[in-house]
Amino acid sequence: MDTEKTSWAMRILVFILFLYLLAPVLLVFPMSFSGDQVLRFPPTSWSTRWYSALLENRGMMRAFWTSLGLATIVTALSLVIAIPAAWTMTRLRFPGRDFLFNLFTAPLLLPTIVLGLAILIVFASMGLLATTQGLVIAHLVVTLPYALRVLAVSLGTQNLECEEAARTLGARPLVVFFRVTLPMMMPGIVAATALCFLVSFDEVVITLFLTGPRISTLPVELYNYVYNRADPLVAAASVLLILLTLAVIMIVERTMGLGRTFVR
Amino acid sequence: MHNFPNARSVAAEHLVLEQLGKSFGAVDVIPSLSLAVRKGEMVAFLGPSGCGKTTTLRMIAGLISPTRGRITVGGRDITHLPSHERDMGLVFQSYALFPHMTVLRNVAFGLEMRNVPKPEVRARALRALEVVQLSHLADRKPRDLSGGQQQRVALARALVIEPSILLLDEPLSNLDAKLRDEMRVQIRALQQASGITAVFVTHDQVEALSMCDRIVVMKEGHIEQFGTPTEIYEHPASPFVSSFVGRTNRLRGTSDSRGVITVAGQQIRAATAEAQGPVEIMMRPHRMRLAPAATDRNVPDATPVQGQNSLRGVLERLTFIGDLVQYHIRVGDAEVMVEEATRRDQGAPCAGTPVDLTWQASDTLVFPAAAS
Ligand SMILES: Nc1ncnc2c1ncn2[C@@H]1O[C@H](COP(=O)(O)OP(=O)(O)OP(=O)(O)O)[C@@H](O)[C@H]1O
Ligand SMILES: [Mg+2]
Repeated sequence: MDTEKTSWAMRILVFILFLYLLAPVLLVFPMSFSGDQVLRFPPTSWSTRWYSALLENRGMMRAFWTSLGLATIVTALSLVIAIPAAWTMTRLRFPGRDFLFNLFTAPLLLPTIVLGLAILIVFASMGLLATTQGLVIAHLVVTLPYALRVLAVSLGTQNLECEEAARTLGARPLVVFFRVTLPMMMPGIVAATALCFLVSFDEVVITLFLTGPRISTLPVELYNYVYNRADPLVAAASVLLILLTLAVIMIVERTMGLGRTFVR
Repeated sequence: MHNFPNARSVAAEHLVLEQLGKSFGAVDVIPSLSLAVRKGEMVAFLGPSGCGKTTTLRMIAGLISPTRGRITVGGRDITHLPSHERDMGLVFQSYALFPHMTVLRNVAFGLEMRNVPKPEVRARALRALEVVQLSHLADRKPRDLSGGQQQRVALARALVIEPSILLLDEPLSNLDAKLRDEMRVQIRALQQASGITAVFVTHDQVEALSMCDRIVVMKEGHIEQFGTPTEIYEHPASPFVSSFVGRTNRLRGTSDSRGVITVAGQQIRAATAEAQGPVEIMMRPHRMRLAPAATDRNVPDATPVQGQNSLRGVLERLTFIGDLVQYHIRVGDAEVMVEEATRRDQGAPCAGTPVDLTWQASDTLVFPAAAS
């Protein structure tokens, strides 16, 4: 009886907690279908006009494509840099290895606003403000630590004897890497890809310093939009972003699930 | 039973370790190890945990580089050859199968690395799987196999490349007792059929004694004894070997110039009496007999049967373990164990009664007492 009671109390508590955490996300859905001119809850009429308005807003759409392209490039570069880096840090022993690893992942601990200011100062003198290259480099500063951490963990938990077995079977070091190490770290690579993509796509604070009329990303554009107006267009944009995020997470879940079938 | 090397089979030395040494930082794990393994023989590295068996095996495989010394195979120096050029098959304790490849691809891997033509790779990999009776599981992933099946895949993967030397690092330690017995027979049969030179690392004396032509008993990075199973068992070179291989009784005594050894105030003889002064004597429990004390005197009769030793003690307790009965007898301040086959008609002596232990003088091993 007692356990039954506590478990019910626990369930209600968890339900309330989830409601509290998810309320803003859930509220966005009805608000995006509002027919009103201003954001308010509950809406007085229903329509899909704000979705049309969003798709017809050229500035918003351009920012979306910029964000998508930026996130793709940043993710690809993060992997290309982080995979060899993580391998070096987990497989080789050299003086200063731990120091280097901590240096690489330090941006995770810094307040983003500090990072943004620092990047602004450096980029201003190099003419990188409001350029694609500038945005790519700035986002890499944020995504690389994530990629490096995830991949280093993935490599660190691998059975080293598999690589050794490949060596004794006649595989040269590069062959060992591509035929054994890389396939075995696939779940880590998928996780790192999703993480980098979402972090870059979502990044506001640093990007705010680096964007301008010439180039802007979706989160920054939304931020500016809300700053000037308060209509339900942002709610519609939020719904689409939530769906995009869910899609990415589901892809990861699927491949990670598959990955678990493949590995171990 | 064991394969005694006869005139024909005493083949040329194949794998030779010359003063091989390995230090990890300041720790000298293998000071200096010299050893010659003949072509086609299976040699066990036997020793307690941490004595350097795996370290030695990994140096032979080229996975770690020796600090000192030389390794040659068939006269060719391979000390500094990278492991992918060494042509050795290694079976790991964890099996280390590639999780992302099917069983067939696992076995085919070594052949692909040797640029064997594709159709031949498949045929040879399948044949290797047939040898270990796993061809029906060729398309499974390793994680869908039992431990014993994974073990056989690992064996097939190492053997399919027809390596010059097969190295096995405790390949049976993750299997249950019954499977272990089966695999012992199977591995030995495969090794003899292919005539491959093999090194078998184990800390299980039964594996070493039953599977291998010769045994290297290791202790703290050096070789205590290298010999056939019979030599190791019957003529152990040190108290360590005697107590590590098989069960043994250890007693302390003093040897005089005539070779008479005094143990707990009683006198016995050994077949050979090399040492004088403090000695350690050892006897196998199953080579000893137990009888109720013949007289009430503290010391057995002064005229023993020729070549027979006898000690008087007190039976402390006995343990029934099915096929055997173990008697624990107090002699002075030492305890001696005697093993006898269970008999139904046996009127077992009760605990607390005085008993006489008898055994052949030739079954007595004598070593100078350790300094400690
Ligand atoms: N990479 C290493 N760095 C430092 N010490 C090591 C390293 N590898 C092994 N050792 C030490 O070397 C000694 C021998 O290790 P090894 O693995 O060869 O023992 P083993 O005989 O195989 O033991 P086991 O039966 O437990 O496998 C151990 O004391 C171990 O701690
Ligand atoms: Mg070991």
